Amino acid sequence: MSPKANILVLSLGLVALLAGCGHVANTSQQAAHGFAPVKMESMLDSNADSPVHTIVMPHDEPVFPPGPGRDEFVTACVVCHSPRYITMQPRFSRATWLSEVKKMKDVYGAHISDEQALQITDYLFSINGEAGTGKGPKGTYGE
Amino acid sequence: MELKVGNEGRGHWATLLPCVYAAIHYRSISGTFPDHREVNPSWIEYLGVSQAVGVNFMNRRGFLRIVGATGAAALAASCNRANSIAETLSSPTSFARFPEKTEMILLTDRPPQLETPIHYFRQDLTPNEAFFVRWHLEGIPTSVDLRTFRLTVSGHVRQPLQLNIDELRSQFEPTSIVAVNQCSGNSRSFFEPRVPGGQWRHGAVGNAKWTGVPLKSILDRAQVKAGAVDVSFNGPDAPPLPSVADFVKALSIDHARDGEVMIAYAMNDQPLPMVNGFPLRLVVPGWYGTYWVKALSDITVLPQPFSNFWTDKAYRIPSGPNGTESPKDLAKDTIPINRFNVRSIFVRPEPDETVHPRIPNEIEGVAFDSGYGIQRVEVSTDGGTSWADARLDPEIGKYSFRRWRASWTPRNRGRYRLMARAANTVGNTQSKAQWNRSGFMWNVIQQVDVKVA
Repeated sequence: MSPKANILVLSLGLVALLAGCGHVANTSQQAAHGFAPVKMESMLDSNADSPVHTIVMPHDEPVFPPGPGRDEFVTACVVCHSPRYITMQPRFSRATWLSEVKKMKDVYGAHISDEQALQITDYLFSINGEAGTGKGPKGTYGE
Repeated sequence: MELKVGNEGRGHWATLLPCVYAAIHYRSISGTFPDHREVNPSWIEYLGVSQAVGVNFMNRRGFLRIVGATGAAALAASCNRANSIAETLSSPTSFARFPEKTEMILLTDRPPQLETPIHYFRQDLTPNEAFFVRWHLEGIPTSVDLRTFRLTVSGHVRQPLQLNIDELRSQFEPTSIVAVNQCSGNSRSFFEPRVPGGQWRHGAVGNAKWTGVPLKSILDRAQVKAGAVDVSFNGPDAPPLPSVADFVKALSIDHARDGEVMIAYAMNDQPLPMVNGFPLRLVVPGWYGTYWVKALSDITVLPQPFSNFWTDKAYRIPSGPNGTESPKDLAKDTIPINRFNVRSIFVRPEPDETVHPRIPNEIEGVAFDSGYGIQRVEVSTDGGTSWADARLDPEIGKYSFRRWRASWTPRNRGRYRLMARAANTVGNTQSKAQWNRSGFMWNVIQQVDVKVA
C-alpha cells in the first residue's frame, strides 16, 4: 500500500472515530444525570473549585502496518475500540481470531459482512497469528 | 538476530525480532537506562507512539536492558515485522499516564484498561492514582456537573429518589470499609492455553478504604415494595453502537440489603478519580469488580430476575469447583461470576529481581479472599519442595489485603524459585492448576524466579 493510501485509510479511520464519539455525545442518558457530553477537542481541565469536574482523555492510538484486510479492520473495528485491543493479545490461531471477529459481528453487532469478517480475520492473523495455524482451508464464515 | 526477553515469573522466554521503523522516544522508568531511544523494537511500536498528544508511553525495563546491551545498529539489521512479536510476551510493556492517574501499565487506551505496577502493593492501601482501571464501552464519562448530578432510585419502590451528592453526604450516616477490588480477569495472561481478553498480569487489583452510604440505607428510604428480586446498577458509560448492550449489573435484593454493599463517594478519603468512577461507585466487598459499577447514576429495583448480555452471556464461569474447566471439554453449565477465591500475590521480590546471599532478605506479599479471612500463608524458597509459615501482619479488615512477610537467607548464589500459598479460615486454598475459557478467577500458586548474586 502506498503512503498516500495509508494516509487515506488513516483519515477514514479518524472520521469513523469521530462519528463514534458523536454517537456517544448524543445519548440522552448522559445529559440527564449531569454527565456532560464527551468532547474530543480542546477541553480544559476543571479546576478544584468548579462544580464541573472534567478530564481530558489522551487520544493516542497505534497505527497498524499495511496488509490485506487492513482497510476493513480500520473502518469496522476501530470505530468501537482502540487497536490496542489487538496488540495486547498474544499470537492466536486463525480459528481463535475468527471466533473473536465472529463475536464482534454476531454478539456486538459490528457492521461488517461475512466476507469482510474473513478479510479482517486474515489481517489479524497476518499481524498477530500463531505460526502453523493458518495453513489449510481457511473455511467460510458460516462454519 | 533473535533477542530473548525474560517474561515475568513464568519461566518462559519471549523472542523478539526487532524492527527499526521510526524515530520514537522512549523514557525509562528508572535511572539505569538512557532517556531516549531511536529504535522501534517491534511492530507493536510501529503502531506510532506519538508524544504530541500528551501521553507518555514507555516500554518494558527488560527490553530497554536488551536494547542497551545490543545496540541500535544490531537492531537495524534485524527488521522482520512478520515475526516480530513474542510468543508469550505479547508486547513490551507500555506505560501511560491518564488524567488523575500516575504512570500505569497500559493495556488499552480506548476504552482505558490500566494495570497497577506491583510495587504499589508495598502500601496497604493502593493509592488512588495507581488503582487499576477497566472500562467496557467506548463512551466513558469525562465530565460531571455536580450541580445537576443525581443518583436515581426507581422501579419496584414506593418512594423513587433523586439524590445529589450533598444529600448523600449529609442525610445518611457515612460508613467506611477497607476492601479489595479485583478484576474478574486479573492474571489472565498466565492461563495456558492463552485466552483472548485483557492480558492482565497480577495488577488488576487494589485495596482501598471506601467511604459512602450503605446501599441498604438508600433502599430503605426508597421503601422497596414486597416481591423485589434483584437490584440493577447503571452508569452513563455508553455503547459505541446501538447493538452493543449497555453495561448494567445487578445484585439480588438480599445481597443489596446486606448492609455491607455501599455507594462510595470517597476512596482513601479523597474523591474518586474520574476513571475509577467519580462521583459514585458501587462497592461490593468480596465480589469481583464487574459488580462495582462506576459512575453509578441509576439504581432500579426489580420484581423479576435481572437479565442482560453482561450477566447472561458475559462474566460467567463454569459451575464446577473454582470455575475450572478443560479446554477440550468446555463446561455446559455456567453461572455468573461472584465471590473472590483465595489468593496471594508476591510484592517483594519482583520477578527477576536480584537478591543477596548470606544475609536476610525480606520477602512479602498480600493475600485476600472474599471475606472469610486469611488464616495462613506459606512460603517456599525451593520451588515447592519445602514450605514455612509466613508472618501475617495484623488484619486491617476481613475484605482487605492481608500482608505477609518472611525473611530469607539464601546460602548460595544461583537461581531460586519462590512460591507462596494462602489458605482462608474456611479451609479454601490456592489452585495448583486452573483454566477456563474466559480467563477468570486465576488463583494458581504464584512462582517467582529470582537470582541470588
